[in-house]
Amino acid sequence: MISRRLEGWIGERYDIEGLRRILRAKYVPSHRFEASYFTGGLTLFLLVIQFLTGMGLALYYIPHSEYAHKSIVDIMTKLNMGWFFRSLHHWGAQLTIASLFIHFFANLLLKAYRKPRELLWVTGFIMIAVLVFFGLSGYFLIWDQRAFTAVRVATGGAGSLPLIGGPIKIFLRGGIDVTQETLTRFYAFHVSVLPMISLIIIGLHVLLVQVHGMSVPISQKDREGRPQPFFPNVFYKDLIVWLLGIGVLVTLAVIFPAAIGMKADPMAPAPENIKPEWYFLFLFQTLKLFPGRISVFNGETIAITVISLAVLFVFLVPFLDKRSSAGKPSPVFTYIAVSYLVYFVAMTVIGFLD
Amino acid sequence: MKLDYSLVSRRTFLNTLFGGWLIAVASGGIYAFLRFIFPTVGKEPDFLVLNKADFLDIPTNTVKAFAWGGKPGFFLKKDDGTMLALKGVCTHMECNISYRPDVKKFYCACHKGWFDDNGRNVEGPPPKPLESFDIVITGQKLVIAKKGAKFDLPKA
Repeated sequence: MISRRLEGWIGERYDIEGLRRILRAKYVPSHRFEASYFTGGLTLFLLVIQFLTGMGLALYYIPHSEYAHKSIVDIMTKLNMGWFFRSLHHWGAQLTIASLFIHFFANLLLKAYRKPRELLWVTGFIMIAVLVFFGLSGYFLIWDQRAFTAVRVATGGAGSLPLIGGPIKIFLRGGIDVTQETLTRFYAFHVSVLPMISLIIIGLHVLLVQVHGMSVPISQKDREGRPQPFFPNVFYKDLIVWLLGIGVLVTLAVIFPAAIGMKADPMAPAPENIKPEWYFLFLFQTLKLFPGRISVFNGETIAITVISLAVLFVFLVPFLDKRSSAGKPSPVFTYIAVSYLVYFVAMTVIGFLD
Repeated sequence: MKLDYSLVSRRTFLNTLFGGWLIAVASGGIYAFLRFIFPTVGKEPDFLVLNKADFLDIPTNTVKAFAWGGKPGFFLKKDDGTMLALKGVCTHMECNISYRPDVKKFYCACHKGWFDDNGRNVEGPPPKPLESFDIVITGQKLVIAKKGAKFDLPKA
């Protein structure tokens, strides 16, 4: 009764029926690769959890090199459920990035980027960069030995880019070295700049999905089943995936609470067997492939340049893959996508075992 | 609408006026903002004055660390008694290195880089030798200086 009246009240001020019509009219194609449709929703759901747990953590974290480490230890040991929410945030970050990579490779392989969805690809690509930078900046905030070294290596690596590398490095570090200035900056990126950018880009991305509907892979064009109504059929499936996602997340957080190393000391040697987060491992392994010098060039600069070009290529795929944009099969780009996937997985596994 | 004796229509005039101030304010603002968000950069020290007694008497084949700006530096006394000062930062990816007396080499744990006791890169990915410093002993002071840097000590 009360909900009826509330609905009536809002209805006189906003056209709820209009929203209902949109929802009822939303249908989702059905075919053998439809599972890929749930990867984006899962990423979004995990990101929402990151936002919520992050807001909680921000109430207690102190972004100062003297106190940062201790404030995390306090969150883990003294606060009610502090260990739980930090662990959720830690594992949530891993799962969000994993889910995003799956979303990315699925759409690369199914060529969901093709015309007219180029802008979806571009916004999604920006989100990969944003999320990776979210990961790096958040990881640095714990201010332990490993994080400190990782950020020195990562910002130094960016500094190896020809021409623009130097200014980028200085900008990220807030000076020539990784110091308190860097911590302040990374905190600002992590809690202010990146969340704002995310909201805008995700908003655009989701809006574009509504405008274009789901992409049907070229091979499935003639083999589609009956489209399913988004609400409630597909939405319930989304909820199932989300429930599984949060189940995995809570399980990981409870069984493997997030760790923290010794407080960072800019003078101490790098810890033994240091490895970056898993989503940087393929870069880390790639850097190892290059010798220190290649004839007269610095091997590192060449490595970073090659990696940047490979990433740029992925960014431009919708504009290069003319065949699939014309609705024709495009096996060359399938091979390229598969080799990217194989390279990423293989290098990550090698890096993990090494 | 365009008056007969006018060069431009009112719309063109207004668009230019509003577009003009938007561009002017935006470019000035963006320039100022960029200047603001790029940090003013400090630099590494040119030289460092230390107490001679703290460093010269260390045992052979050991190092003593000193702070070179915000990074570690190493004062190394070799077996034959010769001494040298090196920046303790790997030339590959800027990780801090450590000295391994058992093999008389510097080691970087990040990507398994090795430097010999002269700071030469001998194994692994480091592209060039460690930066080495000049050592000057004046009175009770040990001065560690960037290669070729000029320095004036305050008269005691």
